Amino acid sequence: MSVFVAVLVGIAMGIVFGFALEKSRVFEPGMIVGQMQMKNFIMLKVFLTAVATGAVVLAALNGFGYVKLAPKAALYSADIVGGLILGAGITLAGACPGTTLAQIGAGYSDAFFTLIGGLAGAVAYAYAQPALSKTFLAQGGGKIIFSDLIGVPYWMAALVLAAVLAVVLMALEAWRPWRADLGADVDGDLPASGAPSVAARPQPAE
Amino acid sequence: MLSEKAWSPYLAGIVIGLLQIPAFLIIETALGASSSYVTVGALITSWVDPSILDIKYASSHVATTAKNWWQVALVGGVAIGALISMKMSGARRAGRSPIWSRALGSASPMKRYAVAFFGGFIMLFGARIADGCTSGHGLSGMAQLSVGSTVAVAAMFAGGIATAMLALRRI
Repeated sequence: MSVFVAVLVGIAMGIVFGFALEKSRVFEPGMIVGQMQMKNFIMLKVFLTAVATGAVVLAALNGFGYVKLAPKAALYSADIVGGLILGAGITLAGACPGTTLAQIGAGYSDAFFTLIGGLAGAVAYAYAQPALSKTFLAQGGGKIIFSDLIGVPYWMAALVLAAVLAVVLMALEAWRPWRADLGADVDGDLPASGAPSVAARPQPAE
Repeated sequence: MLSEKAWSPYLAGIVIGLLQIPAFLIIETALGASSSYVTVGALITSWVDPSILDIKYASSHVATTAKNWWQVALVGGVAIGALISMKMSGARRAGRSPIWSRALGSASPMKRYAVAFFGGFIMLFGARIADGCTSGHGLSGMAQLSVGSTVAVAAMFAGGIATAMLALRRI
């Protein structure tokens, strides 16, 4: 595959991705911070639906032999330490690495600072990587997937995961209808329920 | 439908999940976003400090390969797609989300920009330690039943929830 074709495919896929992120409103800081404060569940719904869909798609593509899976190596220390730092960053940015670009496209000005901070963080990691690769963070390895641990074919376990997620999502929707989480300006800004308690709450350290 | 301001999260989630088809069939990789920050960041840095390309991690991300630049194009396309969607619905965003003045206890733009920069910095530093972000570990890793990715996603939510409870005010 030539790099030129890959870039064209990437732009086309990115446009679809960005369109879906914008339409779902999951790129909104109000949705992302709201999810982390357990006040808004649109992020979890989009995320789990996309995981379930991906699992069905890959069960078919891999089960019929069209594609090989490409899971990342399990580096548990790095997954935990990196995941915790990444999660803290997602909350403070009100974005993840992909949705930062959706925020820029939709017009949020602070997303440019998130983007520049992200580029700086990636460069800082690149400089630190040779040293970090000699620490506990590099320990582990092996592309371990759950279906191999259980001893069933990938496609079977992936379909079970998708079915379980579908049930979870139906229960979640029955408990918290998605329209109620949108807010008047579809940005996840739902001040009515939180406003009184904000004033009464002792101010946390920042 | 394209001019609606909000879709069901289930419709949008299905569209995003279906993107694994071209990713695996055409590019032979899974959806991801965070390594593109290394590609672009290290390339820009190399104009000032060419020695960064002596680091194999940096040079392998900057290399003119289909996967590296497909992902850069993907995240660039995300901005274009969000712009088109916003133009079609009229849900234009300007300035900062109204939640930030409550979350940060301050309407100061400079405070928000500083928090956004810091948040972006640790977001990518953490994603690179973990070797993936919400897309690579979350969407793609969990769909592939990866044990390491599931651990990373659990840690991501744990870190995100703890930070939202401790460092931000209720929105």
